[in-house]
Amino acid sequence: MFVREGARDAGAAGRVVQLDPDRSLVRAAQADPARFDALYRKYLAQVYSFAHHELGDHHEAEDVTERTFMLALGALPRFRETAPEDAGPEASTFRVWLFRIARNVIANHRRAERRRPTAPLEAAANVAAPDDVEGRAVSRASASAAWAAVRRLPGDRRRAVVLRFVDEMSTAEIAGVLERSEGAVRVLLHRALRSVARELSVADAGDGRAAAGRAVPQVRERPGDGDHGR
Amino acid sequence: MILQPAGLDAIEADALRTDGYLDALLAAAERRAGDVPSDPMVDPGLRLAARRLRDELVRTHPSFRFEERLARRLADAAARMRLAPAAGSEAEAAVIPFPAPLLADPALSAELANPELAALLGIRGAADPPADDALLDGLPGSGGAAAPLDGTSPAPAGAGVPAWPFRQVQGRPLLVGGALTSAALSLAGAAFVAWRLTRGAPSDPMARAVRAARAAREAAAPAARHAQLLSAAGEADVRRRRLA
Repeated sequence: MFVREGARDAGAAGRVVQLDPDRSLVRAAQADPARFDALYRKYLAQVYSFAHHELGDHHEAEDVTERTFMLALGALPRFRETAPEDAGPEASTFRVWLFRIARNVIANHRRAERRRPTAPLEAAANVAAPDDVEGRAVSRASASAAWAAVRRLPGDRRRAVVLRFVDEMSTAEIAGVLERSEGAVRVLLHRALRSVARELSVADAGDGRAAAGRAVPQVRERPGDGDHGR
Repeated sequence: MILQPAGLDAIEADALRTDGYLDALLAAAERRAGDVPSDPMVDPGLRLAARRLRDELVRTHPSFRFEERLARRLADAAARMRLAPAAGSEAEAAVIPFPAPLLADPALSAELANPELAALLGIRGAADPPADDALLDGLPGSGGAAAPLDGTSPAPAGAGVPAWPFRQVQGRPLLVGGALTSAALSLAGAAFVAWRLTRGAPSDPMARAVRAARAAREAAAPAARHAQLLSAAGEADVRRRRLA
């Protein structure tokens, strides 16, 4: 635990917060850009997953990921740690900054796509790479009822869910990425879960297999039961 | 269980409980615990949905070919970023804080039409077309703001940071070319030369006259040199005859 830089100047003497866990890596990369590689390797899958879940196409996700990291590298000398006051102990301000870049690059990408709409490539991707393990995994994930329900959520609710479940961010970090308060993010997540639960119950009710093919829904919790095995 | 704090309405209190449940659920997954936390205060439907999302929303990894290609591109850009400060360190001012590949890539420069992203990257006024003289901002003596080049002490965002040079450089690629790799060139000199070169050829009458005079001088130069050589040869011949 460390005292945040400048805390004394801000009149918050004695307030102890956790610093960005990426701080040493960021400082090293600022001193020598070649060392950005460590940050790149650490966050590549997270940024790519976020982009892929947002865009639903792995080629577009790669484009967005590439631009995000190139912009982050270029702007890294200007990056300054500015953790929100109520950031949790695991909050990584570099990660929040990186995902905010990714979010904006995705928004730019969507704007550009609206100007020149193209047909979705999902079907073509399935046909073109039948032996692609990664592609099959992605298709399987995309085909799941839960994922379909998430895809139907409005923008920020969907982003909050992806950041929470896929990138395993804290509420404080999601608040930083989406530029909302933590309370607003909690409500977003709560409402998103309610929507997903509603959709899943409808899907399960309409499914003749009655969840026999699913692993998780077989476990039903009873209130007050305590923990259950998975 | 989380008690409802005073001042929270029902949805906020429910959201707080759900958030606590999600924290426990994801922490259990992280430590690969077999047990699934349960909070009877959280709606069972929500708990079920959360568990399905945890299990079904997978993190995907891009192809390794893509990973390595991007790693090489980043390494190349990083190497250029190291060269730029080395070339300009004597001037202790930054006109070119970003590497050439970034500046030259139209896809990246197009990203900065988004003012929110430009601000996030510490770029002031990137969306506005800069004045012609803005290129010289940050140079010593120009009165513009200067940013440190060492990269270890970045300037505070929005304070004294020169504008992002994407738009200035779009039509002036020489600014970030290999000229800067020469330690003999000062950053100020390179920027000034680039600025002059990208201004285009002057088209006023005086400039045309100067160009015409220079062309005539260059055309006359070989004849004059030839006459000079003939004259020198003649003098040598005369000297040789006298000695004889």
